Amino acid sequence: MVLKTIRTATDRWTQKKGEFAHLFEPYEGDEVVALDCEMTSLDPEKAELVSIAAVKIKGTQVLTSDKLDIKLQKPESLTGDSIKIHRIRGVDLLGGEVLGDALAQLLDFIGNRPIMGYYISYDIAVLNRFIRPRFGFSLPNKTIELSQCYLEKVQRANPELLPDLKFETLSEKLGVPMVGQRHSAIGDAVTTALMYVRLLKGPVPV
Amino acid sequence: MSHEFDLSHPPFDLLTQAQQQQLLSRLDIGYFGQDELIMEAGHASDYVFVVLKGAVAELDPTTDERHNDDSVIREYAQDDLFGAITVINGTSRYTFRTLEETIAWLIPSALFRTLMEENEAFDAYFRNTLTQKARLLESRRSQQTSGGDMSAFVMAQVRDSVLREAVILDSGTTVFEATRTMREQDADCLLVRKGSQFGMVTRTDLLEGVVLHDHGLEGDICDLASYNLLTVQADDFLFNALVLMTRYKIQRVVVFDGPKLAGLVELTDVLSFFSSQSHVIGLQIERASSLEDLARAAKETSRLIKGLMAQGVKIRFAMDLLAALNGRIIAKAFEQLVPEEVRQQCCLLVMGSEGRGEQVLKTDQDNALILADDLKWPECERTMQKFTQTLLDFGYPLCKGKIMVSNPEWVMTESQWKKKVAEWCSSTDGTKQMKLAIFVDAHAISGNAKLFTQVRDTLYQSLAGNDVFYSYFAMPLRQFSTPLTFFGGLKKSEGIDIKKGGIFPIVHGVRALALQNRIKETNTFVRLEKLAEQKIMKKKFADDLAEALAVMSTLRLDQQLKAEAGEVPKEDADLVNAVELNSLDRDLLREALHLVKEFKSRMSHRFHLER
Repeated sequence: MVLKTIRTATDRWTQKKGEFAHLFEPYEGDEVVALDCEMTSLDPEKAELVSIAAVKIKGTQVLTSDKLDIKLQKPESLTGDSIKIHRIRGVDLLGGEVLGDALAQLLDFIGNRPIMGYYISYDIAVLNRFIRPRFGFSLPNKTIELSQCYLEKVQRANPELLPDLKFETLSEKLGVPMVGQRHSAIGDAVTTALMYVRLLKGPVPV
Repeated sequence: MSHEFDLSHPPFDLLTQAQQQQLLSRLDIGYFGQDELIMEAGHASDYVFVVLKGAVAELDPTTDERHNDDSVIREYAQDDLFGAITVINGTSRYTFRTLEETIAWLIPSALFRTLMEENEAFDAYFRNTLTQKARLLESRRSQQTSGGDMSAFVMAQVRDSVLREAVILDSGTTVFEATRTMREQDADCLLVRKGSQFGMVTRTDLLEGVVLHDHGLEGDICDLASYNLLTVQADDFLFNALVLMTRYKIQRVVVFDGPKLAGLVELTDVLSFFSSQSHVIGLQIERASSLEDLARAAKETSRLIKGLMAQGVKIRFAMDLLAALNGRIIAKAFEQLVPEEVRQQCCLLVMGSEGRGEQVLKTDQDNALILADDLKWPECERTMQKFTQTLLDFGYPLCKGKIMVSNPEWVMTESQWKKKVAEWCSSTDGTKQMKLAIFVDAHAISGNAKLFTQVRDTLYQSLAGNDVFYSYFAMPLRQFSTPLTFFGGLKKSEGIDIKKGGIFPIVHGVRALALQNRIKETNTFVRLEKLAEQKIMKKKFADDLAEALAVMSTLRLDQQLKAEAGEVPKEDADLVNAVELNSLDRDLLREALHLVKEFKSRMSHRFHLER
């Protein structure tokens, strides 16, 4: 946490005159961005991005009309050897976005809004691994952890409880249906967003 | 289970692909807590809502008790759409409030209006009456089950299906000439014109005329023709022609276009068009020479109806067809058991739903017998016992109220019947009124129908000028409440008794009106048509009621079929659970129940039931 604060302060300094300076402004609005990424590995040091999805939340509405849903090419792993093995050529992945463009779109979409997600620090760690070398900074946004919000809400009512924090359990306890396909980035992002809205507004889940 | 916005149901399947994509890209999702106000009466709405999960009530703010049932106009659950009327009208007439936590898709009002402007079908959907929505549902149902052509084919009109040009000869044509024309035209029958009248001559008529009746070859063809022809109109449904042929055991009907002769429809053509088993059963019934043969045919009817319903045939057609088949079966069984000379002096009646021709599955036997005053028939009681037993063997269950010919109470001489009917008419006793109601739906099915008309005339005479009678007769309308809200506690909803709450009020109210206006038809749909013709009821309201009845009968049949298959307990055969219906069915049921409620209040007013 302290590390992030120091890092962000340095980043802000270096980005002061840059294209992304506005990311470092304090956020004044009432919107939150729900984020979810699909990745190839559970190890944040090795994982590669397959798709990135984000949707804005405003008050108690999930703005599915204002969302980002990007499927990526993976040019790094697409070497000559792997083409021979997988018989996948570059053209076969046409339509997928190049990572650099995708990240620029993401930064633009998120702006300086807080980022909310389920085990969001993992997604952000992977994103930063790709953002930092390209843009020279890490995501400075405030983050909100869904499972933490849930835990706090439950424990505020009953401090003894240690609730199960599995994604499916949260969805069931909160009575929020899975929207879209489970394990598609956009489906999970929207479901997460709904759970967040429900947590803020609704009664203590039992 | 995952949820996505469902575009496969009306009205959204009416949009073009581009419009659907536009809609999907503009959707938001909203979360509403319990008891949260979504839309307030008198205010505009930014969105049209489609419930993703939860329940919302539409409330009339002029009745201010929020939990008073009367203030609830409608309730909405998963997949239901609301707010469209608000967006169309500009402001909301009612208040919308959640009953439990609710998540809903939000369609921006501006987009919704644009879609309505751009897409006529989509626009029409929201301005549609119940009748039109039901049609939509029907066509969808048949698409699901048979690839889409069944409804079109059941809806086929005589005009554009199998109409044949008729060979018409003028009177004075010789038999010889006629036979030659028939051969040249390769026709099985011809029509002859005698003055303004048309007659029909078939090959059999020719053969029998010449060979058996010694009719000369130079004689006038008109003398061989039969003139009591059965006709249909060119814009009539082909299905009706089939029902007519089944009912009267005939091979051809003459088709008119208004007053003008349009041609002929032949049974073989209709059959090849329908290629259904219905007429096969009809033929089995006609050819049955023993009760065993008849029993076999009787058992086929249930399967036929299930098949027809699964193929998306309108329930009214299915009812008509089954009534025709059942009528033939019962009459035939009667003919097998009762000798010809006795039959001339008695009249078998079917009553209740069978009498109205509104049963789809075999329901209880409801029948009675009128004997001529001078008939001496000592075998009567024994034969009637056997008749009831025979029908039971055929699969028609016994009537629990013992309204059957095996019960001597329902076998009386003409004078006894007249006395009884007069007694029923002058009584306010509930049981007697119920018996009268059953009798009002009676129609003669075998024997001497004149006996029945005479008893019925007594009925009309006894009731003439007796308006107080109707206020008692119609009273049962108030007996069962019609629920407008299906989901009191949405999760543990038990379903509604659709027979008591929906079907009975329409049937009984229409019955009372028909009796008051001496409408002799017994079928509720036909009664409604007659009531509209006689301007006793507005045509539109009559049409809507008929549609409501059809909708509820279809839902009930679905449930009954489930009960028969053992999927739900037998005693739940009339319970329709709104939560389990798809949104369009639920929408139809909701509108149907609203109509029932309105009809009941009109009847209350008309017959002075509020005492």
